[in-house]
Amino acid sequence: MRSPFAELRRGLVVGEVYEAPNVKTLAVRLVDEVPPPRPGQFNMVYVHGLGEVPLSVSGVREGGRVVEHTVRAAGAVTRALVYREWRGGLIGLRGPYGRGWPLEEAEGHDLLVVAGGMGFAPLRPVLKWVAERRERYGRVNVLVGARTPRDLLFKYELESYRGLPGTRLLLSVDRPEGAWGGHVGLVTDLIRLADVDPGGSYAFVCGPEPMMVNAVKALRERGFREDRVFLSLERRMRCGTGFCGTCQLGHYFTCRDGPVFRLTEVSDYLAVEGV
Amino acid sequence: MEAPLYRGGLEDVARLYTLLRDERGLVVYGYRLDGGSIGFGVVRGASELPLRVEAEAGPGRYRLRSGVSFTTSHQSPKNYLHPPRQVVARVREDLSVEEPGAGEGGVALFAVKPCDLSAVKVLDELFRAGANPLYAARRGRVKFVVVEECLRPGATCFCSTTGSGPTAREGFDVAYAKLGGGTVLFKPGSPAGQGVLEEMGLEEAPESDVAEYRRLAEEASRRACLGVAVEEVQRALRRLMGDRGFWERVSERCLACSSCNMVCPTCFCTELVDEYDGRVNTRVAQWVGCLSYTYGMVAGGHFRRWLYTRYRHFVLHKFLFYPVQTGRLGCVGCGRCVTWCPAGVDLRETLLRAVGEGGG
Ligand SMILES: Cc1cc2nc3c(=O)[nH]c(=O)nc-3n(C[C@H](O)[C@H](O)[C@H](O)COP(=O)(O)OP(=O)(O)OC[C@H]3O[C@@H](n4cnc5c(N)ncnc54)[C@H](O)[C@@H]3O)c2cc1C
Ligand code: SF4
Ligand code: FES
Repeated sequence: MRSPFAELRRGLVVGEVYEAPNVKTLAVRLVDEVPPPRPGQFNMVYVHGLGEVPLSVSGVREGGRVVEHTVRAAGAVTRALVYREWRGGLIGLRGPYGRGWPLEEAEGHDLLVVAGGMGFAPLRPVLKWVAERRERYGRVNVLVGARTPRDLLFKYELESYRGLPGTRLLLSVDRPEGAWGGHVGLVTDLIRLADVDPGGSYAFVCGPEPMMVNAVKALRERGFREDRVFLSLERRMRCGTGFCGTCQLGHYFTCRDGPVFRLTEVSDYLAVEGV
Repeated sequence: MEAPLYRGGLEDVARLYTLLRDERGLVVYGYRLDGGSIGFGVVRGASELPLRVEAEAGPGRYRLRSGVSFTTSHQSPKNYLHPPRQVVARVREDLSVEEPGAGEGGVALFAVKPCDLSAVKVLDELFRAGANPLYAARRGRVKFVVVEECLRPGATCFCSTTGSGPTAREGFDVAYAKLGGGTVLFKPGSPAGQGVLEEMGLEEAPESDVAEYRRLAEEASRRACLGVAVEEVQRALRRLMGDRGFWERVSERCLACSSCNMVCPTCFCTELVDEYDGRVNTRVAQWVGCLSYTYGMVAGGHFRRWLYTRYRHFVLHKFLFYPVQTGRLGCVGCGRCVTWCPAGVDLRETLLRAVGEGGG
């Protein structure tokens, strides 16, 4: 009769990397056994005495024994995760939850990845997945946007994606700083530069919702098929498993039916504010 | 299909209660008189049964007085199956978890209403896939269900439109209806129910009582009716989904108190509250209403900031989204949200206006 809240697994923090002054990637070694997460899934991450928040899995190592979460300080729990010293400490994890990116379905096709801000976190495992199975996909374009160059996530490994065969990486920032060589403006502006076959390509998009709505517009304009566009949506999640009901989007439970949705499933709802 | 009806009196309702409690050893949950109101919980004695009261109800109005039959209370079987506040985990410093139980022993749901029964079926479907094992455990304890049918529907009831009342066809062990003049007709809904009625030694109801029952049931059904079909309502709501003006108009008087969510027998949303004593963190799941401002609030944003979007979610969820999620309408027509809305926002009016403006 265990409720989802009792399924807490202990995780030992084994690594911490600051991505930006307010963003940190935590590497967590699982003390208790859990199934390895698939790209696009998330965990409920628990900080003792404060509570639990949904966080995308941003990396998987050692076959799932170590998972990574990339967190931006927003409120009580995320501030504690970002600003406290965690190495050697325990955090709780429940999951992995939700439906991830359709990586098998996309095999044999071009792939366009569009990431805005923290939206890069759930897409990073996609890049690692594709890198390990490069021959199964066509051309791969990765568009990444951030507010400033300093806010770009995973700066230390971006070049390695550029180095993959048949792969393009385009970066964009709202406000350039220093010797910025990339684009300036919205990341969705880069969609028209993407070098993939729109009619045959899959698109995986994650970022703030207005950015995703813009991305959908640009993808439609370029002739992407709606059933091959996927978005990872965010809603207020308090359980991750269909218990609490507060993540509902129309008739979907975002935690269970998503967070990754096919555009055709949600396009009617995205057009209606707050549905 | 014609099961025999049995005839008895109010004292037999009390006997049925006592039999379930004492002979069957069940913990009896039901409506009980509680000061000047009626609540839902463990009925400790037959004297707590609300057998001789009725409610005068209207939008934003509810008063009990003596009478034949009451319809709804501000509580419902949800208060037992999915309680307003429950500890779901106690987490210690080493992150080990202690989980409290969902109680033990068989339970009888006693004298719940036909609309309540429908509401339980909605919750069953919603949590079917194991989403809420605490609900499943409490539900699993229910061994016997007694329904009190409504031959006198309340002024805010519209259960015949939603197909959930005022009489019950299935999903119970015994149902009874008060004909007035102290006469009560009992009908079995299962072999167990049949057994209990035989054990009580009730005689079969004479043809005249049965005819009177059918006449009253039909009249009740006509009264608990909105005058539009659910399908019409659904079509209109689908059309009006994106019509901000409509939703602003129908939610004009709403105060966002979420009283409607609390009294609704199918609303189930919960929030988690962490009560930390410095060592142990007690995680409490408590009801949260989608009408409240904090429901969709997140750090640095809000998924339903505007009140009209929250009222709309309440209505669309009941009529459009529950049917997809559970195969059943989420509204059981009990009228609680109408009765207990302090601002007198009337869901029936919203539905009729929807058909008026978005129908055709
Ligand atoms: C599927 C999913 C994946 C996410 N992945 C990431 C990620 O990889 N990295 C990251 O930094 N953030 C991510 N977020 C957002 C992150 O969950 C919120 O920033 C976080 O919950 C804020 O909680 P807090 O306690 O710090 O803030 P508070 O404002 O104190 O939070 C109060 C409560 O609100 C809820 N909440 C607050 N903001 C959000 C939000 N945006 N979305 C959902 N619930 C929220 C939480 O349940 C939290 O307990 C994700 C959200 C979802 C739904
Ligand atoms: S409809 Fe009535 S009961 Fe519901 S939130 Fe608004 S004021 Fe409160
Ligand atoms: S997060 Fe609780 S139901 Fe989806």
